[in-house]
Amino acid sequence: MEKNNKLIELKNIVVEFDGERVIDDMSLYIGDGEFVTLLGCSGCGKTTTLRVIAGFIQPQSGEVFFDSKNINGVPPYKRSVNTIFQRYALFPNYNVYDNIAFGLRVNKVPEKEIEQRVSEMLKLVNLQGFEKRSITKLSGGQQQRVAIARAVINRPKVLLLDEPLAALDLKLRKDMQKELKNIQRQLGITFIYVTHDQEEALSMSDTVVVMHEGKIQQIGKPVDIYNEPKNAFVADFIGESNIIDGVMEDDFKVKLDGKSFECLDKGFAKGEPVDVVIRPEDVDIVPAGQGMLRGVIKSVTFRGVHFEILIDVQDFMWMIQTTDEYKEGQEVDLKIDPDAIHIMKKSKYSGQFGDYSTYSDEMDALSEITEEDEE
Amino acid sequence: MNRKANIRQVLLNAPYTLWAAIFVVVPLLFVAYYAFTDSGGNFTLENLSNLSRYANVFKKSLLYSVIATIITLFIAYPFAYFMSKRSANVQRVQMMLVMLPMWMNLLIRTYSWTLILERNGIINNFLELFGIEPLKLIGTPGAVILGMIYNYLPYMILPIYTVLSKIDVSILEAAEDLGCNSFNKFRRVVLPLSISGVVSGIVMVFVPSVSTFYISQKLGSESEWLIGDNIEYLIKSTTDGMNVAAALSLVLMIIILASMAIMNRFADSSDGGMIV
Repeated sequence: MEKNNKLIELKNIVVEFDGERVIDDMSLYIGDGEFVTLLGCSGCGKTTTLRVIAGFIQPQSGEVFFDSKNINGVPPYKRSVNTIFQRYALFPNYNVYDNIAFGLRVNKVPEKEIEQRVSEMLKLVNLQGFEKRSITKLSGGQQQRVAIARAVINRPKVLLLDEPLAALDLKLRKDMQKELKNIQRQLGITFIYVTHDQEEALSMSDTVVVMHEGKIQQIGKPVDIYNEPKNAFVADFIGESNIIDGVMEDDFKVKLDGKSFECLDKGFAKGEPVDVVIRPEDVDIVPAGQGMLRGVIKSVTFRGVHFEILIDVQDFMWMIQTTDEYKEGQEVDLKIDPDAIHIMKKSKYSGQFGDYSTYSDEMDALSEITEEDEE
Repeated sequence: MNRKANIRQVLLNAPYTLWAAIFVVVPLLFVAYYAFTDSGGNFTLENLSNLSRYANVFKKSLLYSVIATIITLFIAYPFAYFMSKRSANVQRVQMMLVMLPMWMNLLIRTYSWTLILERNGIINNFLELFGIEPLKLIGTPGAVILGMIYNYLPYMILPIYTVLSKIDVSILEAAEDLGCNSFNKFRRVVLPLSISGVVSGIVMVFVPSVSTFYISQKLGSESEWLIGDNIEYLIKSTTDGMNVAAALSLVLMIIILASMAIMNRFADSSDGGMIV
């Protein structure tokens, strides 16, 4: 069986709620058997995209293709996709067995076959013996498993998952991440996964779609998204980044903070202003006089695996992660290797991100709960 | 500590316990006492054994109130269903319109129906314009049942609406997602989830209908007198009617309790929304 490269295709999708554009001319295709994650903060349009694919929302304009057939206007119950809802949306009037059997019963599958397929599903999600249990007597994690079984039993070609782990605690979330990934491998079906948790996105997906303000910012493999962010928004949203204004002097040569650095990027015009991304873990701190940039250590925070150090270099606050301990007020040099530098074209997000002057732990904890799990 | 908390609990509950004792338990005991005694205060079973002459009245009361309850349900369910689908503002206005008649006294509401239905009433006057012979509307079983439906409709709409509006939208979406068209969605998800509201509504309409006495007097003829009317008549117009009236009340109460028990059986599987 040949894999379809474009199982789902969105073409120029526009969705507006009360005149406000939630999805802005979005085009995307998703291959058969892929694990695709739509990643972004709340309000970026990721859940709306999922609901367009599920059929709960009709786009104002644009086309949705499934297996090369236009499915605009096809109601949700006729689409061969199934959804796992954010708060599971299990039927409280049915027990575990009846919840899982629901889709098959609607489609008039013989009870004999239903019985066999439900027990297969219970095995898949590790809930054997829970058949008669009432939904209200299950823990969050167990409800989650029932929701997975209830969707997957219909053998959909695509499973849509809307922040399915958001309601679980951290430990359970990590376990379920692995389990979901395993289920996807076992079934070999396409998963379209929506999350605001970048770590979840990077660790689970084949392809990550970073969204912001109703537009796709970048599509790529997790490694590429991290190492080669396309603009300042992506660089800042995925992991930590120092984003410094620079000027390309030549291919493989960029000037920042008045110094020339060697890099691995080319194809920019001579003298073109660019955004330079340097990840905190890629910078070495060396004794003053031995590096390229001189700075003063402003703060040192112990993070467990590493120290997070803020260094003031010519009024720009760098974040550096290192396993060595330094003292505040110490004068040090930064050493940056060519492969630590990533050059991005200027975008509308330039200058908004990547300077840690305003950075505080407290703000950080508020805006991104998952921050502390990061490497 | 524990003891202290217990005493406090008892003291806090005392006013309500006292209230319930004086105004619920004691009157019930009185009803039972009168039902089992004659006018001289001697124990007797005669009141109850003589009730067989009211058998037809009981039958009629039950029949009318069952019919009224069923029709009310079929009017109220779709109304509540579509109301729960509207925007918040529309829901508020519709709710207001449902509640509005309840601000007026039941007697006035019922009396105004006589003006509509009577021989020289609004309907017959209107028909006369087209040369149609006046219809006998008032004093018929239909008028009594209409009165019951009109007066108790809000009590059916409210509990059903409450339950329907509490159903999570994502549960309905899940049903669609799993292959349900509108009909299946209703049959497999919406209806089972709203049964508790339906049961509450049925009880809230059936109980006052079966024991009503004013509606049947105003809108029915003498032959449409129901249990309630007989109880009222016995107490008001006969000297030793209290005992028979008490026996009638006792039996009526048992019938109501029995029907509520049956209804609750239906609601067993679902929870919430119960009034009784």
